Amino acid sequence: MIELRAVSARAGRFALSDVTFDVPQGAYGIVIGAAGAGKTTLLETIAGILPVQRGAIRLGGDDVTRLPPERRRLSLVYQHAFLFPHLTVRENIAYGALDAETVDRVADEFGVSVLGDRAVRDLSGGERQLVALARAIARRPEVLLLDEPFAALDPRTRAAARRALRATYYERRFTVLQVTHDFNEAGILGDVAILLDGGRVLQAGTPEELFQKPASPYIAEFVGAENVLSGMAQPIGAAAPDWTETTRHETEEFAVAFTTGAITLYAIGDVVPGPAHAVIRAEEIALSVAAATSSVRNQFPGRVVELSFAGAITRVTVDVSGTQFVAAVTTRSARELGLAPGVAVVAGFKATAVHLC
Amino acid sequence: MTERGSRWPHALATIVAAVLGSLFLLFIAAPLVGIVTTGGAGGAGALWHDAELRQSLWLTAWTATAATVLGVVGATPVAYLLARRRIPGGAVVAAVLDLPLVVPHPVAGIALLLVLGRQSAMGGALYHLGLRVTGSPEGIIAAMLFVSAPLFVSAARDTFERVDARYEAVARTLGDGPWRAFRRVALPLSIRGLAAAGVVMWARAVSEFGAIVILAYNPRVVSVLSYDRFTTTGLAGALPVAAVLVVCALVVLIVLRTLSGPRLDGAGRA
Repeated sequence: MIELRAVSARAGRFALSDVTFDVPQGAYGIVIGAAGAGKTTLLETIAGILPVQRGAIRLGGDDVTRLPPERRRLSLVYQHAFLFPHLTVRENIAYGALDAETVDRVADEFGVSVLGDRAVRDLSGGERQLVALARAIARRPEVLLLDEPFAALDPRTRAAARRALRATYYERRFTVLQVTHDFNEAGILGDVAILLDGGRVLQAGTPEELFQKPASPYIAEFVGAENVLSGMAQPIGAAAPDWTETTRHETEEFAVAFTTGAITLYAIGDVVPGPAHAVIRAEEIALSVAAATSSVRNQFPGRVVELSFAGAITRVTVDVSGTQFVAAVTTRSARELGLAPGVAVVAGFKATAVHLC
Repeated sequence: MTERGSRWPHALATIVAAVLGSLFLLFIAAPLVGIVTTGGAGGAGALWHDAELRQSLWLTAWTATAATVLGVVGATPVAYLLARRRIPGGAVVAAVLDLPLVVPHPVAGIALLLVLGRQSAMGGALYHLGLRVTGSPEGIIAAMLFVSAPLFVSAARDTFERVDARYEAVARTLGDGPWRAFRRVALPLSIRGLAAAGVVMWARAVSEFGAIVILAYNPRVVSVLSYDRFTTTGLAGALPVAAVLVVCALVVLIVLRTLSGPRLDGAGRA
């Protein structure tokens, strides 16, 4: 388990401020952030390489805030493998290992036992990263810290390395904290996602929570939401005319009218009247060529501006009275609907698909 | 026309660089070649029949080696700390360490005499312990150490700075304490750079004259002997000694540079 409480630290121009989050025992935590967000500083602080200025770090229930790295029962893998060039592959894996049997087993798990006596300089980038992971795991850490370990790999090698790590993780169930700038990584690997920016935690939760309910427009855009609209929110309660969707009074969420540009859309949420942002994921917007007869609350006629083909999915930009929406539809649907720039369509989405922040 | 226009400045720059480089090499090599060609034959003969020259060569070699060993052992931790840690007043420490490179070497000799001479507290204490610094090999070593160790510190510091600190960070998370990580990772990755720094220090120690002549004129190292011969017997007496020193130093430097070889550190980057 990794517990950080109001941790502040500094490394050159990078600083952490009041960082607080938990990664439960045996969980896979992902720290997401843009370049310069303080991700590596965070890992090095947890590892004990950088001193904590304020706050506390607990690993596996023990306060390690003032302990040196070698006494924290963790391993750290950087984006660049940092294999020791004066040692062979096997000597690297054995560097911190407790016994030779573990070295052999871990080398097998990561498929690098055949590299045994080879010099580090003769390895490919992917092989180096696998050896670095094996070296870290051979230490039998309780916590594994990963600093963008797959970022420098080609897609195929990345998938293989991720698979090998995932298999080892499921077998041993150590706690992992991995940093990445790629939100997809969180969706694929993470139980807990922590979004970091400027050395501060902006939001922490499951990847799905960050995805569905981003706490700010910045987070929404970071996690790939394509429709982030700014406007004015006005709660209208259950008294909204012809309201057909659940108003969910029991969760203290209300029907909300959200005005952006020339249009007003409806949402369900818990907001105070005033400026706000509406986030709608492209996958939640359906397109039809005639007004739908379904109960979908938000339906707006508009015209297709452009189509962006990406394999099975096509992203369609629709202009609705000066406000642009991006909808993700299957390429097959786009073809069947005859979508092309200038075609009149109706963009529809449920009030529950609108997240207000 | 465009192609020719872009090629000519490049060719001109190459020619200018080649001419300047050749002039520089000539400037360095010509005096040394002159000494060897003029005094080489006499030097070879002197090596055979001049016992004082042989003793002087041996004294120079072992005192320079001793000074280098002391410098490497003592200065390596300092260079490492300056490279890795933000030490309060680190800039002042670095400036003090560079100072012997700036002060005229006779001044360095006088400074050492003030601290290590028999009249000083430390020199007196050392004398009572049986260690006479002035006029002794120990004095020669002290002078060589003082003037040449800063070169080692500077080069060793650069070497450590070029080794990414994350190698040691990884070693620390793999169970090494600071000293163990230094010994198992930082040192092996820096060893060739440190060796090269040691070569530079040794070479500087061999050539030292100004500080030695103040602190320990006798026994005479080669630099002092050549000066002594020049003042007592003129150019003819000094040339064989100088020629022998140049040839011996060249041979030793070629061997040491070859052994130092290419650098290891950084080869592990993915």
